Amino acid sequence: MKGGWNWFWKGGSILLLAYVIVRGFSTPLQPGLVSATPSQLTIAGQSVILTAVGQPFAETEDLPEAFEVVLRSGDQLIQTEVLEVSPHSVKISVNIPPSMPSRALDAYLFTPASGTLFLGNACFVEEAAKGDVPPAFIAGAPLPKAPELGFSFPYQPNIMESIRNLLWHVPMWFAMFFIMGLGFVASLAQLRTDSIQWDMRAEAAVKTGLVFGLLGLATGSLWARWTWGAWWVSDPQLNGALVTVLLYSGYLILRAAMGDDDRVGRLAAVYNVFAFVMLVILLMVLPRYTESLHPGKDGNPGFNSYDLDNSLRAVFYPAVIGWGALCYWMYTLRLRMNRCTHHLLSR
Amino acid sequence: MRAVFQTLTTAGTVARLEWQLEWRQGHQLAAVGLFAVASVYVAFQASDQHTGAAAWTAMLWLVHLFSGFTAIGRLFDRERSNVRRYLQWTASPLGLILGKLFHAVLTTTALTAVVLGAFLLFLGWPQGIESPGKPGLLVLGAWLGGLSMTTTLVFVSAVASQVRSGSGALAAVLGLPLLLPQLILATRLTRGALADEPWTMLVEYPLFLGALGAGTATIACILFPYIWRA
Repeated sequence: MKGGWNWFWKGGSILLLAYVIVRGFSTPLQPGLVSATPSQLTIAGQSVILTAVGQPFAETEDLPEAFEVVLRSGDQLIQTEVLEVSPHSVKISVNIPPSMPSRALDAYLFTPASGTLFLGNACFVEEAAKGDVPPAFIAGAPLPKAPELGFSFPYQPNIMESIRNLLWHVPMWFAMFFIMGLGFVASLAQLRTDSIQWDMRAEAAVKTGLVFGLLGLATGSLWARWTWGAWWVSDPQLNGALVTVLLYSGYLILRAAMGDDDRVGRLAAVYNVFAFVMLVILLMVLPRYTESLHPGKDGNPGFNSYDLDNSLRAVFYPAVIGWGALCYWMYTLRLRMNRCTHHLLSR
Repeated sequence: MRAVFQTLTTAGTVARLEWQLEWRQGHQLAAVGLFAVASVYVAFQASDQHTGAAAWTAMLWLVHLFSGFTAIGRLFDRERSNVRRYLQWTASPLGLILGKLFHAVLTTTALTAVVLGAFLLFLGWPQGIESPGKPGLLVLGAWLGGLSMTTTLVFVSAVASQVRSGSGALAAVLGLPLLLPQLILATRLTRGALADEPWTMLVEYPLFLGALGAGTATIACILFPYIWRA
């Protein structure tokens, strides 16, 4: 029976991760507007090209009449005419009015299949006077069309295709918290019982957790390069993550320095308890009370609705379970190795 | 009630013992003071009184950090081994760690005064800073930053003292990553105090430093008995 259960959860973790990798990379990204050229407009009639990334929002045979673009200045809408449509861009002709509430214009693109695409501060009109848009230029609010996007990941400005990293980076840190928590419990038990069994569990947990911590740092660094433009920035969350990994490296150094001293278990357990308390303070308490670039922080615990929509959830939750189970599996292997070593050495 | 009283008595005795040890050995305290003042003088020579606020802060905390290591890093290695064994048999661990912590707090307070005083004497106020900023907050930040580093160092030094070979180097290796958060908070607070940033932006930093120091001291007190009787 026990063997059956092992097959179930180990096989399950592999299947879940296979699903996550395939689904995570094959799911298309919803289209999103990224730029308007030219972005500096003058008070005259002119044409502007809006460019999008992600899956195509139009077929090549689609007619321009099916699409609609309005520019928004403050709370007033300016009408435009759609000239050409291609899978990833749309060319419009717009007559810029001499006066408008705000010189920065937001763009809305209404598509029949992909819903509404939005680009904030798309264009800028330097010479526009402040005032209401003259009635001749005003557009009526278009009727929103129900999108038929299918299974696709949401478009987020700056993040774009890298949203797939959510399925790697975040579950890896979750797995690291989980296994370090296990190590913390094992160390507490070690302090109570002074048994080498618990010490071996704590050591296996910390070693496995460190692997996932390093993977979390690596995937986070890649993500930072894409969204923030640097491999590493000074941020409470990142500082906390780095210090945590250094702290647990200290655990291994302490063990190595103790050698075959018979107090190593107790001392390592003391250090591990301290390290886990610092982990909670550094990664879960401090970043929430200081300004941080990292999402889900800055007074906002965990994820919120804008980060996760249903299609992302359908892959994210399996990823969390899959990485967690894989992490636990690695921990059991390490633990078995520790037991074998102990057995051989004590013969 | 009686147990509490006994623990406090032990703490007082240990703190007095530490103080006497410090005073009789003499060279310990002098060594730390010399290290601090010499480092500040090196900083002064290197920068020739043209130091901006960022470099000033960096050098202040580097000197403070390594002076702290010199002073506290070997806190549990100083007694002769027979004194140590006597303490192990007679003193309650909680009283002992409280006494050591009390002594460390006093040392750090003196150290902060020496380091900050030497900085202001030699390097003066950093270049490019107009008003006197917030001198009270500067002193408070240096003191609280030093204290929250010290409580961590006491714990690390207690752990490292149990390792038979090379405990001094081990204290430094284990201690530096643990001190990073305190240093990040403290340098940010110092820069804010120098640049005269508004109180509302800075008020969280002394609170965090104080909380971090108190927190690490509490964990050290809870865990110390397991180290000491090991």
